[in-house]
Amino acid sequence: MGEYVIEARDLRKVYPGGIEAVKGVSFRVRRGEIYGFLGPNGAGKTTTLGMLTTVIKPTSGTAIVAGYDVTRNPVEVRARIGVVFQDPTIDRDLTAWQNMYIHGLIHGVPRSVLEKRIPELLRMVGLEKFMHTRLRYYSGGMIRRLEIARALINTPEVLFLDEPTIGLDPQARAKVWEVIRSLKKQGVTVFLTTHYMDEADKLCDRIAIIDHGRIIAEGTPEELKSMVGGDIIYIRVVGDGASFARSLAERGWKTRTLSDGLIAISVRDAPRALPEIMMEAARRRLQIVEVRYVRPSLDDVFLHLTGRSLRDSETEGWKEIARMMVRRRMR
Amino acid sequence: MAEREALRPSPFKAFYAMTYRQLVRFLAAKSRIVNSIVFPLIWFVFFGIGWSAAFKPLGPMARMIFEGLNYLEFLAPGVIVMTTFMGGFTSGLGVLWDREFGYLKEILVAPASRPAVILGRIFGDSLTVLIQGAIMTFLLAAFLGYTNPVGIALVLLVAWISSLASAALGTTIALSMRSPEGFHMIVNLLMLPMLFLSGAFFPIKPLPDWMKALAYINPLTYSVELARTVMYNVYSIPPLYSVAGLAASTGILLAVVVRKYSKTYIA
Repeated sequence: MGEYVIEARDLRKVYPGGIEAVKGVSFRVRRGEIYGFLGPNGAGKTTTLGMLTTVIKPTSGTAIVAGYDVTRNPVEVRARIGVVFQDPTIDRDLTAWQNMYIHGLIHGVPRSVLEKRIPELLRMVGLEKFMHTRLRYYSGGMIRRLEIARALINTPEVLFLDEPTIGLDPQARAKVWEVIRSLKKQGVTVFLTTHYMDEADKLCDRIAIIDHGRIIAEGTPEELKSMVGGDIIYIRVVGDGASFARSLAERGWKTRTLSDGLIAISVRDAPRALPEIMMEAARRRLQIVEVRYVRPSLDDVFLHLTGRSLRDSETEGWKEIARMMVRRRMR
Repeated sequence: MAEREALRPSPFKAFYAMTYRQLVRFLAAKSRIVNSIVFPLIWFVFFGIGWSAAFKPLGPMARMIFEGLNYLEFLAPGVIVMTTFMGGFTSGLGVLWDREFGYLKEILVAPASRPAVILGRIFGDSLTVLIQGAIMTFLLAAFLGYTNPVGIALVLLVAWISSLASAALGTTIALSMRSPEGFHMIVNLLMLPMLFLSGAFFPIKPLPDWMKALAYINPLTYSVELARTVMYNVYSIPPLYSVAGLAASTGILLAVVVRKYSKTYIA
């Protein structure tokens, strides 16, 4: 068996109506790693995951998942994967046990195995007490954990998780992360999408940053952060910030002025660079009103690559989710 | 990691899983039983008794119109079939709700045989509809003083097959729809004409030719005819034709839904 469990080559999806959600992505996921797709909402993460899991037909390109082509051999792929979609895919009128039982049956797990495995898996995600509770009484976090447990019934080679902690409170998130980490220890390959940079940073071995349907960077969290080149200094001055920023750029530092006037400067070593920057400001008689430096986060990487903050995109995403919720309520 | 043979469900198991789901769901929502027999019952009581009263002045002459039966006897087999036909049709709406609530993905991403999955689901729905049909049949039999057990058993068989056909039709339509609202429109546009042109409420024979032609391509016509035949041994279409008509239409509708479901993607 190959080293790679997922190999996507130039996957593209154009939806009816002409929206090109994924504009050709290629990447490979190694066996046993946690691989993350990080990007804002609407970047094409869910569509890519849909194509890899055979529920969305690619417009062009190929993907080999667990050794089989997703368009030519979808059933073989389905037999080797577990999927937790972004929106719950459960039957709320049934109990946790019934949902898992049906899932097991349609994945070909023998009934005798199911009798043993369902309580085991529910125990792993801390839901054994609510085994016979109908899911309409479950919280969002409980449903997420149940869905992860359910996706493991057929002992898949790859587990796909689409935004596994979206909409969960911090405690529920921590519990889901714990479950995902324990899966890695068991040797399960995990492919997840997320728009939370801390989630990608803490969980993933490797990350692809995706924006507007394209992968714009790929690597380990450390590799990605080193793209930014050391530390980032944020400084805000009163007065002619633009020429100040230009003079800093002339000294060979990558400088960027953010939408709110904050100047972001990428430096190798902030403590050494700071005095020089402050002296330059003093020479220009600019009053410094704010200065701080950070070790780069994945958000800085995203900013570095796109000029936009992932956080800005995130609030957009939340508005969209809120709209979705309202629509759903209204039905 | 060694090459591991992936688990694959047998078609039978997938079929069973979906039947199981539909039955559990049905038992979890018992109010649906009441719901699904109230409408046909209202029809029978008000329409049936109303017209019976209107035909009263004709005396025994009225029986000549209704193949030798009184109007309530004429109506009863039609109402039984109507119960299961409508029940089956609306059960098709279930796949639309599954799409809406995401459960369709859960099924589509399983390595199960699609024909087995959809047929299992339709079978499960047809069993729940059969329960409703049986309740209706017993109510009507008690009302009419009908006591022939063979007639009751056979009319339930016909009604059950009819529900398979209508569930297949309803599911096919639901799979082509994106919203439940659209489905309701189709239900009204399609189901009411099908009911009216089935011979359930009035005989087909005296109809104008164009209506008669529509009635003969209506699968429900054959169910209603057969239901009346097995209960009262009267018919306007030779029973063998009706059997062929019912079998062929059910077979075709099931084949269509299997094809449609096998090609279903989320996008």
